[in-house]
Amino acid sequence: MKFTRAGDSREIDAEAISRDGVTVRIRIGDRQIAAEFTPNADGGGMLTIEGRRYPVFGARRKDSILVSVGPAAFEFKPAEAAFRRRARGLAAAEITAPMPGKVLKVLVRDGDLVEAGQAMVVIEAMKMETTLAAESAAMVKHVRVEEGQMVDHGAVLIELSPPPASSVRKSAPRVE
Amino acid sequence: MERRLTKLLVANRGEIALRIIRSARLFGLKTVAVYSAADANSAHAGAADEAIAIGPAEAAKSYLDIAAIIAAAKRSGADAIHPGYGFLSERPEFARAAADAQIVFVGPRPEVMAALGDKVAARRIAVAAGVPVVPGIDAAEISATREYAAIVGYPLVVKAAAGGGGRGMRVVAEASQLERALEAAAREAAAAFGDGRIFVEKYLARPRHVEIQILGDNHGAVAALGERECSIQRRHQKIIEESPAPGLSAEMRAKMIDAALKLARAAHYTSAGTVEFLVEGGNFYFLEVNARLQVEHPVTEMRFGCDLVCEQLRIASGGKVAEFAAPRGAAIECRINAEDPEHDFRPATGTVLHLSVPGGPGVRFDSHLARGAEVTPWYDGLLGKLVCYGADREEARGRLVNALGEFALLGVTNNAAYLRDIVASEHFRDAELSTNFIDLFFSGWEISKPEIDAAIAAAVITADGAMGDTTSGGAVSSMPLPAGIERRSPWDGLKNFELWGARR
Repeated sequence: MKFTRAGDSREIDAEAISRDGVTVRIRIGDRQIAAEFTPNADGGGMLTIEGRRYPVFGARRKDSILVSVGPAAFEFKPAEAAFRRRARGLAAAEITAPMPGKVLKVLVRDGDLVEAGQAMVVIEAMKMETTLAAESAAMVKHVRVEEGQMVDHGAVLIELSPPPASSVRKSAPRVE
Repeated sequence: MERRLTKLLVANRGEIALRIIRSARLFGLKTVAVYSAADANSAHAGAADEAIAIGPAEAAKSYLDIAAIIAAAKRSGADAIHPGYGFLSERPEFARAAADAQIVFVGPRPEVMAALGDKVAARRIAVAAGVPVVPGIDAAEISATREYAAIVGYPLVVKAAAGGGGRGMRVVAEASQLERALEAAAREAAAAFGDGRIFVEKYLARPRHVEIQILGDNHGAVAALGERECSIQRRHQKIIEESPAPGLSAEMRAKMIDAALKLARAAHYTSAGTVEFLVEGGNFYFLEVNARLQVEHPVTEMRFGCDLVCEQLRIASGGKVAEFAAPRGAAIECRINAEDPEHDFRPATGTVLHLSVPGGPGVRFDSHLARGAEVTPWYDGLLGKLVCYGADREEARGRLVNALGEFALLGVTNNAAYLRDIVASEHFRDAELSTNFIDLFFSGWEISKPEIDAAIAAAVITADGAMGDTTSGGAVSSMPLPAGIERRSPWDGLKNFELWGARR
């Protein structure tokens, strides 16, 4: 089974392959580890791998699994949910909100041609601004948000299409 | 001048609101919490003697709404308001509105706040008081700023005149970035403080950030409660603070305290405040005054064995600044934030599904978190402050490493493991401190490989339902049953186990 850590596109391929008492063998990629798990009264458990003991907690949600290992927090998603639609010549076909927040600025319009690294949207969350830029050259197919709008985590802000062979029209510089 | 207070309204939220409510209760005051729609079920609203809704989630219409808060104070019969930090804490018009309503504002007088809270005006006061400052200019005009920048040279730092805590602050490496940085800083400042004025300073290459805690009363007395070292910052946001400042000579400390007191006297400062300095080599430069209680004030409390909120309340009641015994030992604080340290510290939100709070001698955790608590995108992502005291720095550090190891928070991505690795590092142990600490030693930090393996194993176990059985998107329910009760083995389900039902 393949899944990813939230925010990280690298796929992890892991599965439980056998168990014996409290010990389970888990395959991670082409490695195997033996993990011992003993549940605790607090809803979590103690996980022992190669003599190191980790207090762990876990929760299943609709589209993800949350886990904590000591003070470290993790979120895993099935690979399909994390898969970002890719079209020819594009790093990503959509610009999505990396966190819930407010759209402060929309710097492009439908039909604009953008270059890799060009700022497209500025989002504010927890009083910090985050600029979302194009990952590759693209044409703005559709801007789906307006300035001032609140957006959820993962909301599609801008749809992109591959840039045409010959430039249609350059992104007009906008007066702030 | 004596005024007996009876009821305190706390115009804030989160950990600081809780912390103020605790001290107010100790001081013998009734407490009133105010809350936004997003905080209706929050800890601070529950902890106070009464709680009043003041508006929608948006801070501008709730925690920053002066009229709504003053109305709540009048309605509840509160005779004092504590603003906490952030939000309205350094807005003179808020202090003035309180005074106009015959309510005691627990903080400096509005005119003092106006002078010191404004960084440009504060610099002028510092210069007049003979306190050294970093070279800089008011950045109201782009052309003048550009000219000045060409003389002083890059890099420069752009700051909000009304700012604090690094908000609206940007480093400008070269001339081509100046305009954009000014614009973004002004916009952030306007959003965060309702005041878009900014100024520009020479950027010191490898300074340390050391600040002095001050207290002033209405009888003209001022006192200093030692220093705090706050050099470990990420994007100008402090994340680890400690006292004493490692390696600071007694002579330098005395000079800095003297400068802070001069400034406090010159400004007729009252209540708690902090004078921040940048230290480079044997020099120190005045940075700003934070005319309020600081996030990191517990570090001072642990060394002086005092309660700064109670001191503020005593001063607000007309009392005199106390005599403090000499500070003892060492204290270190770290800020646990809702952010993802492995992915550009992007802000995180979520519901607390499990929380393990560390304990033991010398361990203090100031937090509003509890199981079921919601962390929303509306406010600052501070989840809690873990503070450890020790007879010396090494003991405090050891306790903090252990305490961070005991900490667990499921449901909200946070920086606790990152903090643990910093505090446990040789660089921190050896106090190789500068405001570049993170860039130098902890950029590109990743969680250790064995911990990732453990997380993957735990995810596989959780997927099976052997841990953290949940309703869809809901809260965790505890998996194990009491000893002696029959239950299927956690591993029964693992036969032909496939995570999320693999599609092959």
